[in-house]
Amino acid sequence: MASSEIARYLSVAGQRVALDPEGYLVDLDQWSPEVAQALADEENLRLEPAHWEVIEVLRDFYQRFEQAPAMRPLVKAVGMSLGKDKASSIYLMKLFPGSPAKIGARLAGLPKPANCL
Amino acid sequence: MSKRGFAKEAEEEVRAMNDTQTDLQGDLLVILRHGPHGSSLLREGLDMALVAAAFGRRVSLLFMGTGCTALVSGQGQGPLGQKGTQATLNMLEMYDIETLLVESEAMHALGLKACDLSLPVIEVSPAQIQAAMTTHRLVATF
Amino acid sequence: MNLHTLNRSPADSRVYQQTLQAMGHDDQLLLIEDGVQGALPQLVRYFEDVEGRVYALKEDLEARGLLGLCADNVHVVDVDGFIELTEQADKTITWY
Repeated sequence: MASSEIARYLSVAGQRVALDPEGYLVDLDQWSPEVAQALADEENLRLEPAHWEVIEVLRDFYQRFEQAPAMRPLVKAVGMSLGKDKASSIYLMKLFPGSPAKIGARLAGLPKPANCL
Repeated sequence: MSKRGFAKEAEEEVRAMNDTQTDLQGDLLVILRHGPHGSSLLREGLDMALVAAAFGRRVSLLFMGTGCTALVSGQGQGPLGQKGTQATLNMLEMYDIETLLVESEAMHALGLKACDLSLPVIEVSPAQIQAAMTTHRLVATF
Repeated sequence: MNLHTLNRSPADSRVYQQTLQAMGHDDQLLLIEDGVQGALPQLVRYFEDVEGRVYALKEDLEARGLLGLCADNVHVVDVDGFIELTEQADKTITWY
């Protein structure tokens, strides 16, 4: 869930963006593509079109369901929007190494997914 | 109806159902007996279902009693802006939770019909409820 | 065989109806906490469909002074008996 505790700030193009202790946005409305790239920098990720389309899927998911998806529904949502070829955890792992559901949610400006280890 | 008569009829119904509806099997049956907003039980039950489904368990939901009102179309947030459950219900499909059972008697008692509900459901009789209790490995009531 | 536990009195709450609906023909019912009121002769009739398969927890009856008032067709079990019932059951389903 979105935490309201501010642990630190990220400075993006002169804007102060508050992050919670786990690095998720405190105010989801502060998200912008620039914020996403700044968060990605912390993961040593350069965001390519393949990342952006998944970020888009994540933001759509949150818009519709008011929750960030766990891994399985994320794979399903990616499959529905981007095609079967991309509907695999291996593909998402390559884009967002470690935990795609969590890192993807962070970069997409969503709260941390519940129900997700 | 006499007890014996009822039990016999129930057994026959169970047998008939086992023949036709094998999709009622699963790892977890979550029984939801409360509508939205009055307590946190509906949300807690749905959370449990989602966690189990996120880990690949086959989950069915059974709405009993006033829990059937959890599915009524057109729900919104509470008067003080409290989050509703409609978005979570819509999300069930993404977690492959597609077996939604509703207690037929409760639907009748509440004057609800399947077309009043926001998701496709299977109405179940007491015998089918009893069968679901045995065809799911775990049962949790909320 | 499943064990169902019920902790609400049939005089107060209609949860017992859900319990009865969910009970299979060899399932057992254990009344606990305020549910033990259902063991009183005037109230046990609510459970006539599952007669012979109704248990009530001794400790909860005692605490409420109801042990001596229990109907004859209700089996009284203590906590050890409760555990035995759960061991015999495939699973335990709680109604509250």
